[in-house]
Amino acid sequence: MPWYLHLALRQLFPTGRRFPFFTLISTLGVALGVALLIIVMGVMGGFAYEIRHMIVDTEGEVQIVARSPIPDYRALMRKIDSVPGVEAATPYARDAVMLKFGDKAAFPMLRGLDLDSVSRVTQLGEYVRVGSLDDLDDDSIILSAQLAVSIGARVGDTVEVYSPLIINKLAADSVFLPREVRVVGILEIGHQQLDSSTAYGTIRLAQDLYGLGSTVHGLDVRIKPGMNEDDVVARINAVLPDDIRALSWQDSFSEFLWVLNLERNMIFFLLLFIVIVAAFSVTSSLLISVVRKTREIGLLGALGGKPVHVAACFCAQGLFIGVLGSVAGLALGLTALAFRNNVVLWITRVTQHPEVLRRYYQFSELPSHTSGATVALIVALTIVISTLAGLLPAWKAASLKPVEALRSE
Amino acid sequence: MSEPVLSARALRKSYPSGDGRLEVLRGVDLDIAAGESVSIRGESGSGKSTLLNLLAGLDSPDTGSVSWAGSTDTGAGRRAAFLGMVFQSFYLVPELDALANVLLARRILGRLDPAARTRARDLLARVGLAERAHHLPAHLSGGERQRVALARALMNSPRLILADEPTGNLDEQTGGGVIELLLSLCVSADAALVLVTHNAAHAARTRRSLLLTSGTLGAGRA
Repeated sequence: MPWYLHLALRQLFPTGRRFPFFTLISTLGVALGVALLIIVMGVMGGFAYEIRHMIVDTEGEVQIVARSPIPDYRALMRKIDSVPGVEAATPYARDAVMLKFGDKAAFPMLRGLDLDSVSRVTQLGEYVRVGSLDDLDDDSIILSAQLAVSIGARVGDTVEVYSPLIINKLAADSVFLPREVRVVGILEIGHQQLDSSTAYGTIRLAQDLYGLGSTVHGLDVRIKPGMNEDDVVARINAVLPDDIRALSWQDSFSEFLWVLNLERNMIFFLLLFIVIVAAFSVTSSLLISVVRKTREIGLLGALGGKPVHVAACFCAQGLFIGVLGSVAGLALGLTALAFRNNVVLWITRVTQHPEVLRRYYQFSELPSHTSGATVALIVALTIVISTLAGLLPAWKAASLKPVEALRSE
Repeated sequence: MSEPVLSARALRKSYPSGDGRLEVLRGVDLDIAAGESVSIRGESGSGKSTLLNLLAGLDSPDTGSVSWAGSTDTGAGRRAAFLGMVFQSFYLVPELDALANVLLARRILGRLDPAARTRARDLLARVGLAERAHHLPAHLSGGERQRVALARALMNSPRLILADEPTGNLDEQTGGGVIELLLSLCVSADAALVLVTHNAAHAARTRRSLLLTSGTLGAGRA
């Protein structure tokens, strides 16, 4: 090991002393910054990951959309099924309805499912908490959990469904009677917005309610594992007519994902300042060290040490603090993420508002997803910033003339 | 006579002082042969340390030249191999134990191998500190620290040792022991020695004694 790296290590960890105060404080500052970045980016990543999961689980990776209802969707399904990389496709019809149970009303989206093919594309069945998708028929629906709570309906109850066609009927002075359907299941995805505003029925029920005849609004497509979504989307688009387009789930929800990414990047940028502030404290400590060790720096010159190597000695101390702080911060952050739900549970119990998390943050549990790329970015930036923190002290040390440094008091 | 290990020609050095300049050295000439020991005495402020810094290549003369074994390259890269220095204040690195302080000279030279470790231990044994190899400077006495500094100065088998008041911070008895050790180590290593000292008795132990007065070197009396 070059002498300047050896000396840098020894100055941080002197022989016979485990963890000097300067090293401890500097490392702790960097570690806290890294830990906070890991925790916040992990939770933000968790939100994004869960949202992706929910979208793909409930609507597949690719959505086929059209300007007007799609006729002869079975032929289109066969065409899409034959595209390389496509696992399966399922049609849907979706629009807003009014649900009424007793004197309570709600205005969810009712999504009509093709029971023969939906389970090949989505995992909706796994989210049904009471009842089953198999219980659905053309006179029944499944309610999302919060929606059922809001109107007070339970499995076995009969609710009234008013479709958008009521507007047309009213315009024609016709009498419009609501459709009565049984509740045969309760579904909970874990996302507040979806769990409070979605109902599921058969595609025939939806076609009746929306006056679609035998047409559908679109198709959901699942692609084969390991296939590139964009490649498959391009292949599907190649076989579709001009007025029908295939969109990946990222394209379908691009605005939402853009906002999510913007939030994530802004928070990353702001939290990075904690690491920068910690780096200033490293600079300050190293500058004090240069002043304290002026005569030692002179000695190094007298022993034949080159100024650039003296500079490297102090820069390396910033580097080592960055590496150590990153490792400690990573361990701290990942541990905190592992116990995040216990912490959140404790806080919500203390504040006596356990429902707030679900109501305002959409999720019943705090999600977490830490990607290797994010961790690598945090660690790399921290190490670079810490190393840069050693530059000013390094320059000060290197600019000392040995003869003057040795003479200093 | 063979080529001198150290040669200084017409060295002049001055420093700013008020409106003018204070001339510290006014044309110093010096030749040191291989293995020769030379002492330089002079009053405080006479320029002994200034001269030593010029000879070590740590400072540049206003005029004149310094050459080591015929070469005027006195840069840091060559200094590590050619020169060993001993200071009045020892200048040991406090975070390193005695052995690591001795090895630091070899690390800077960039040739740390198992043989170097053996040599460092041998040198510590020769200065009587074999048992204290892993003690930090803070746990050594002044005399012991200076002996570690002697071992460090000899670590790279230099051809020239420059010692600047090496006994200045030691009591008479300990200082005498250090000088004795320094001279014997230089003899056994065939290294030339330039010893800057106030102490006439220590100066008398060297082969040649010089006196620095009024910025010039002359023969000194023991």
